[in-house]
Amino acid sequence: MDFSLSCNDTEDSKKEQTHRKIVPTEISDKLQKINTDTASEQDPLHHLNCTKTLIPSDNFGRYCYRHNPDVKCNKQTDLSKFEELQGTIEKLPRSEQNAINNIWSTFSASSSSNRNLIIQGLLTQCCFPQLSFISQEISSLIRIDFISTLPLELSLKILCYLDCNSLCNAAQVSKNWKSLADDDRVWHHMCEQHIDRKCPNCGWGLPLMHMKRAREVEVAASSSSSSCANKNSSNNFRAFTTKETSKRRKITPVDSTTNDPAQLATKNHRKTRPWKTVYSERFQVERNWRKGTYTNLIEFQAHNDGVLTLKYDHKHLFTGSYDKSVKIWDINTGKHIRTLTSHSQGVKSLVFDEQKLITGSLDKTIKVWNYHTGQCISTYRGHLDAVLSVDCHKVHIASGSADTTVKLWNVESRTCHALRGHTEAVNCVKIHPKSMTVFSASDDMTVKMWDIGTQKCLRTFKGHVGQVMKVIPLSLSKDYDLVRDEDEETEGENIVEEGDQEDQPEGANQQDGDNENEPELVDLSDPSMNYPNYILTASLDNTIKLWDVKTEKCIRTQFGHVEGIWDISCDTFRIVSGAHDRLVKIWDLQSGKCMLTFNSHSNSGAVSCVGLGDESFVSGDESGVVKIYNFDVIGN
Amino acid sequence: MTEKIRLTTSDDQEFIVERNIIERSVLIKNLLNDTGYDEDSEAIPLPNVRSSVFKKVIEWAEHHKDTTFPDDDDEDARKSAPIDDWDKDFLKVVDQEMLYEIILAANFLNIRPLLDAGCKTVAEMIRGKSADEIRRTFNIVNDFSPDEEEAIKRENEWAEDR
Repeated sequence: MDFSLSCNDTEDSKKEQTHRKIVPTEISDKLQKINTDTASEQDPLHHLNCTKTLIPSDNFGRYCYRHNPDVKCNKQTDLSKFEELQGTIEKLPRSEQNAINNIWSTFSASSSSNRNLIIQGLLTQCCFPQLSFISQEISSLIRIDFISTLPLELSLKILCYLDCNSLCNAAQVSKNWKSLADDDRVWHHMCEQHIDRKCPNCGWGLPLMHMKRAREVEVAASSSSSSCANKNSSNNFRAFTTKETSKRRKITPVDSTTNDPAQLATKNHRKTRPWKTVYSERFQVERNWRKGTYTNLIEFQAHNDGVLTLKYDHKHLFTGSYDKSVKIWDINTGKHIRTLTSHSQGVKSLVFDEQKLITGSLDKTIKVWNYHTGQCISTYRGHLDAVLSVDCHKVHIASGSADTTVKLWNVESRTCHALRGHTEAVNCVKIHPKSMTVFSASDDMTVKMWDIGTQKCLRTFKGHVGQVMKVIPLSLSKDYDLVRDEDEETEGENIVEEGDQEDQPEGANQQDGDNENEPELVDLSDPSMNYPNYILTASLDNTIKLWDVKTEKCIRTQFGHVEGIWDISCDTFRIVSGAHDRLVKIWDLQSGKCMLTFNSHSNSGAVSCVGLGDESFVSGDESGVVKIYNFDVIGN
Repeated sequence: MTEKIRLTTSDDQEFIVERNIIERSVLIKNLLNDTGYDEDSEAIPLPNVRSSVFKKVIEWAEHHKDTTFPDDDDEDARKSAPIDDWDKDFLKVVDQEMLYEIILAANFLNIRPLLDAGCKTVAEMIRGKSADEIRRTFNIVNDFSPDEEEAIKRENEWAEDR
């Protein structure tokens, strides 16, 4: 018997359509115009080729979702439902079949408003169990493939609210979903949310991997030194990406950790990769970090005496040692490249960029090298005792010495100024280029901040109860959400309780008393000066401390090492620390929590120096062993 | 006394809405400012919006008549803000068809906060679900061949287990 459930919605909608045409007033014309204008403005399809078959949104004014000829996804379900019904009805006596069919065809032939009437009439006759049946049926019937059928820009907008796992699941739903969930615009947004910053929604941040990208570009002509310029470049990256968003259509997925827009322009011919790949690669590196699964470990006897200092970038690893030499290694293979000798005593500190290497030695001198040739270019004498630390920015070299001074050398004007204030050896100096300030950490347990221009001391940070070995200035964005200690009052006591403080001098608490007599703090709130807002310090009192530069107060103390910390290094996400307890620890910068502990130096000696990269860290110990831990994705 | 605006929906129902409420719609707001609407003007036709949907939109606008929403330009703030509790309940009780039409209406009428809430609601329906669960939620047919499905699964495996 003939059984039809055909629908006359199309005719119905034709009526509606003509209906609509009756009201073309001035306003409605204008409205239509605005409508199409905004549509074309928002619709990126006008500018990009996309595989998506876009259903004109207009269509939905004419058809309901179910009867829209362009929507195919629900037809199959409807069809099987028809077949099921057909089967059931054929089992009924003929007269009943007729009766039911009459009801259906009457409904089918009715206008939209009459259909509503019929439904309402039926509903009023229903028993509650039947209403419950209807309600169940309906909830499974009204299901809409939002992503495939909404206007493209709305689908992308929805997808942009998702996390990466959900997006990857969404990509497996159907062909339509795949093309949208893999869309470059969605993943560009994901990259923006996560790369080199912590996403406020999920708490994940992904490494910038600037070095890695630099490696892929054949020869990055005059790219800035990745190790010293890391902070700078990260900021540039953000500025660059935001800029890109504003002209969304021009997004080029050049794998663009290229942070210099000018450089980008000249390098447009470069290999481009989908943003999803860019994201996925970094995601996997970050996961390796979080789980502590390194994909490669290179260890070797770098020197026959203790390693005192190390620095590295994507190509070279430099190590300075008690054995008076500096050695250069291939960071990726651990292969020895060159040995620099000329210092008459141990090399305690070094810093390098693309062209030169600067070393500070226990022999009281600073040397500048062309490390490509191995030649020593110049030697700076002036310190009266061992040079324990060097840093450099453009024409400025800063040095810290056991003679208690910090010296600022201007390579161009050949001048040298001494900054006096520390009462014991200066273990670390760090230039903060943006604000032209220099930080110094000393055996006198304090850290000082100096203005390079005026050579005035701007801040003195007191609170460590052991010699301070390292200071790192940080410029973190306001939304970084650093975890602070709740109660700073008790921290002094905690440290004493920790014990094991061989180097801790007596009467450390007296320092607190001095604080009150100090003159008022120099105001550092001028935003144009770009002062760093925090500093991180490591001390032989076994702790890492985080300080608020503006208030001069310690806001967090990280416990974990059971002996003095010799060296730390950090980026936007992590801190790596090496200590006398022969352990290397990885800390989360935001929370201050210790994430990983490596005891691989336990057989060789105290960890005297550490270095951190986007996908690796390096540690060196007092017996001359160097270890390179790599967290990169295997195969890259 | 606040000005009243007359509007007709696609099914020819007429609505009279206070001007400050309907002006949540940037489209209507601009239109009113551009054309100089007065008592005698014709009702504004909304050919893309059904009356039942328009009712919901007005209900939303009336509830939010005193709400200040984050600046339109502040992408980050708008994106990371969770759905307003009232909006969440408001959109939770409607069926997918109504949600669908509310999103289209908010898009057409240019009501950013409502559009954001609608899109976030859909995102929440997707979040944390497996591909299969997503298909069931939205009644989608899997049009991948088994081989394709396997390949795509492998391609996306990296995101699991973080």
